[in-house]
Amino acid sequence: MPLTIPKSVPLLPKVPSIAVVGLLAAQFLILQGIGGTDPKCTLNVERPHYSTSLSEDQNIDAIKLNITSTCNVSQKYTQLSASIQKIQNNRETTAYSFVNEIRNSTAKSPTVASFKNLFAPCLRGVSTSYRGIARGFVYLENGKKLAVEGDSGKFVAAACLIGAQ
Amino acid sequence: MSYFEECLTSGGLLFQEERRALYKYLLEINKDFYVDQANLLLDKGTTTRCIANGEATYFLKDRKVNYSARQLNSDEIQSELREIKLTRIRRYNIRKLEKFFAQCDVDVISNFPIPGRIPKEESGYGFNAYPFYTLAYYANGRNYLKGIVKKLRTKDNEILTKLRTL
Repeated sequence: MPLTIPKSVPLLPKVPSIAVVGLLAAQFLILQGIGGTDPKCTLNVERPHYSTSLSEDQNIDAIKLNITSTCNVSQKYTQLSASIQKIQNNRETTAYSFVNEIRNSTAKSPTVASFKNLFAPCLRGVSTSYRGIARGFVYLENGKKLAVEGDSGKFVAAACLIGAQ
Repeated sequence: MSYFEECLTSGGLLFQEERRALYKYLLEINKDFYVDQANLLLDKGTTTRCIANGEATYFLKDRKVNYSARQLNSDEIQSELREIKLTRIRRYNIRKLEKFFAQCDVDVISNFPIPGRIPKEESGYGFNAYPFYTLAYYANGRNYLKGIVKKLRTKDNEILTKLRTL
């Protein structure tokens, strides 16, 4: 007697496919929305440069490092240790350190803390390549603390030597 | 204009070395004033001090002292900026407070300098997390033995001499 194996019949979805796509899209959007409230902060380390304003106004030679921490939520303050790195004898060395500096956010820009007065004295006339690096924490208004770090990228030359005073 | 007066105008443009020397200089010239201020704070629980273009108000609560600061003629107050814990020994507390006041004066000068020809860049209140009178400042909060060595090697005599010259 021949053996007959019953053919399996796959279960067909009872929900129309258009509705499935719609539900998936809705779920994606909801998850995106929740994910969007996750606090995130970024650090923008600008390349160290010779401060022409300090030279013109105060007759002082200095390399300036600007750093900004920006979050998607309000922050109390940012605490950073930063340094200006230089190339000397084909090696990267720390030319100047800024240790644990704090900058508060302002009422005008509660999500931003700006470090705009990090200066290193230098000797004009000697071209040296610099880059800036920084790492630290952002202290948010909600009590959370987020680690941040960044650098200014490749070394760029400035006609002033730090550490020659 | 003396170098000290220049510092009161330069404020936030001062190098780290200059701020540290300024701290030492303020501690030196304001010794009697800081002692009086400390006694006032310990007796009354609050005291206010104006320097450069800023004002600092100190508060004592539960043997902890903190301060808030504002620019003169401004309503925007920066509160609870630094804090120190006091002991039960009054004389020791006065010594601690002298250093604390000098550090806070440097903070206020750096943030609220006397308006000059250099426009102030817009940024929030800024200061070094570790005060100049702590080993943590020299050790970057890590190895305190290295901090002692670094402190002994730190010479601010040149800037201090400039500051002392009237």
